Amino acid sequence: MSAAFDTIETRSEGVALTSTAEARDFFALLKPRVMFLVVVTALGGMATAPGAVHPVIGLAALIAIAVGAGASGCLNMWWDADIDALMTRTAKRPIPGGRVAPSEALAFGLTLSVGSVIVLGLVANLLAAAMLAFTIFFYAVVYSMWLKRSTSQNIVIGGAAGAFPPMIGEAVVTGDFGLHSLVLFAIIFLWTPPHFWALALVKARDYARAGVPMLPNVAGPAATRRQILAYSLVMAPVAVLPALMGFAGLAYLVVSVVTGLAMIALSVRVLRVSEGEAAYKACHALFGFSILYLFLLFAVLLAENSLGLMWALPKVIG
Amino acid sequence: MSENGNRPVVAFSPEDMARRRRRSVALALVLVGLVVFFFVVTLVKTGPAIMNRPL
Repeated sequence: MSAAFDTIETRSEGVALTSTAEARDFFALLKPRVMFLVVVTALGGMATAPGAVHPVIGLAALIAIAVGAGASGCLNMWWDADIDALMTRTAKRPIPGGRVAPSEALAFGLTLSVGSVIVLGLVANLLAAAMLAFTIFFYAVVYSMWLKRSTSQNIVIGGAAGAFPPMIGEAVVTGDFGLHSLVLFAIIFLWTPPHFWALALVKARDYARAGVPMLPNVAGPAATRRQILAYSLVMAPVAVLPALMGFAGLAYLVVSVVTGLAMIALSVRVLRVSEGEAAYKACHALFGFSILYLFLLFAVLLAENSLGLMWALPKVIG
Repeated sequence: MSENGNRPVVAFSPEDMARRRRRSVALALVLVGLVVFFFVVTLVKTGPAIMNRPL
């Protein structure tokens, strides 16, 4: 049959039933920026784990974890396509943009989910694979399908999904979970609310239009600003713990203290400046810096533990 | 647009075909990458002794 007679199902309301999407559209379904942070944090868990793993096995496990994270992002986009279409930030995503059919995204997400879990189980161990499967389930089902549209604490509880990668990383190396990865879990878990609520304050109208009960829409901007500061005040000291527990060195101590103070200062600014363009800028500054903050913490942790650059400190806790 | 039974159908445009071709090439590259991935991981997991066996 000639190519000219190949057929596709007709499109309705901008949603492709059989798409002609390109590879980059499928790559976009994996939320590459989130995947990058997952890779960095999982590497942090692997680097601080007591033990070692063959570099090729470590790399293979990391690829499986990254693909699993991408798969959960893909399933999230499939489930949330209706509300994504209503929000300016997400309206151009592959499904609401009409470039990928919902059924394609679902098949893609499920295939990658199953594949990544099986591969992680084969190259690493069953615990790491089970943990990755649970993370995908938690993000796609517990967060996306349940919490996101039903409670203002959606990203607080759902934040656990983003905090699991260091634990998976440690499980890859040791076949177990330890205190190190639990501390890294706590850092990411406490980081998630200030990070997301800074964005939610700016995009409150978008979330209202989509009917997503984010904290600013439910409890109001003032309460959200107070809670952002409260979480930052708890998170910053917790982020110093790796240095006090002996699995991070002097560089990490300095970076975690300085950037932690910056997070608190930016949260105070969000609390104090609540009107007009300045308030918008304060929220954007906190949102942008929070990404840099998490990246810096794990990058220094990684450099110290993997490259032999650690200036060891006396163990204070643990 | 033509009819195929009761299903309305449309022909691919040349742009659609070009996009699908690029997608197929990307898929082929991923598959080749997976073959290399599994080969290397198998070697590492089983060790170099896998190469040292009688024919």
